[in-house]
Amino acid sequence: MKLSFSGKTVLVTGGNCGIALALAPLLIGEGLFPILCHRHGTGAAKIDEHLSPWAGQYATAFFDLACPEQMGALFADHPGIDYLVDMAQGDYETLVASADPGRLARYMAENIGARAELVRLAARAMVGHRFGRMIFVSSAAAGMPGKGQGLYSASKLGAEGIYRSAGLELASRGVTAMGLRPGYVASGRGDRFIEQQGQGLVKKMPGGCFISAAEVARALVFFLSDTARHFNGVAITMDGGFSAGK
Amino acid sequence: MDHFNRVRNILTEILDLDEQEISQDSYLVRDLDVESIDLLEVALALSTEFAIEVRDDEIFLRHLRTLIADAKAEGVDPVARIVETLPHIPEKRAKEMVADLGDGPVLKVRDLVDYVGHCCR
Repeated sequence: MKLSFSGKTVLVTGGNCGIALALAPLLIGEGLFPILCHRHGTGAAKIDEHLSPWAGQYATAFFDLACPEQMGALFADHPGIDYLVDMAQGDYETLVASADPGRLARYMAENIGARAELVRLAARAMVGHRFGRMIFVSSAAAGMPGKGQGLYSASKLGAEGIYRSAGLELASRGVTAMGLRPGYVASGRGDRFIEQQGQGLVKKMPGGCFISAAEVARALVFFLSDTARHFNGVAITMDGGFSAGK
Repeated sequence: MDHFNRVRNILTEILDLDEQEISQDSYLVRDLDVESIDLLEVALALSTEFAIEVRDDEIFLRHLRTLIADAKAEGVDPVARIVETLPHIPEKRAKEMVADLGDGPVLKVRDLVDYVGHCCR
């Protein structure tokens, strides 16, 4: 089956993570134009290094959930955004009762409050041309957090709610949204966690393996496509069946 | 083209109405059956048409009832509070709003015209 896409430009937050770097060439291969977001020069350099064979077929841009006041400039510079793949996420693992009060407040403000501003701006851009598709990369931990993932899980659930309502409210104007909840992904922070857990963890995976960044990227391409537009206002779990049993 | 005609053009396009169905005194919700998603599109179209930053809460009078209730609770004249908080609303129109509130949402086409006029000053 050949996938079709009604839009062209894809804004990818968290654009220097492993999934984003696997996603970008796939998007380019489908004729799309990714804009990969980074928070600093190191991130931009990493993107350019990985995507050097596709120079000129993508762009990079500054985006930081800690700087919501600067998001307007991003959308002013790129007014024709058709797709949003939102993978940015702050890193703060702690028992809820151990959390630093100031850091806790900032974490929620950035990962829920600032993300709502991102969705607001994206929605206004998309409604303006009556097409848009948003995917929030959540986590299986949203529904099944490990100890120490309370704030992470809560912020993912909060953000899923924002995307769910955006899909509900804007579908009549051609704008849809969904969440994807990957399970254990052997990439980035997931890789570190998997290494810490050792071989015991892989035995718990029904298929006997973890999910790769490339597999998540391919799923994202499908969910961005016109074929998947009726996946709206939902969050789909992609964990190899890990959460289906005990 | 004056502001009213430009606002009306936007409304006719988004709401799929004829020009004759829209006057300065048309209520957006009561007469034109405008829904929230329509208002979002109107705000986006006005910001493009007039090159202004439209604040949805202000132009669509989203907090008018709270504004009036708070003014009354504080012993402040509601009309004065409206004019102070929403500077695009003329005093005469604010008085109408206070008197008209019991019959439903008071937002009229002329309020949108006044808003863009205020922003374009």
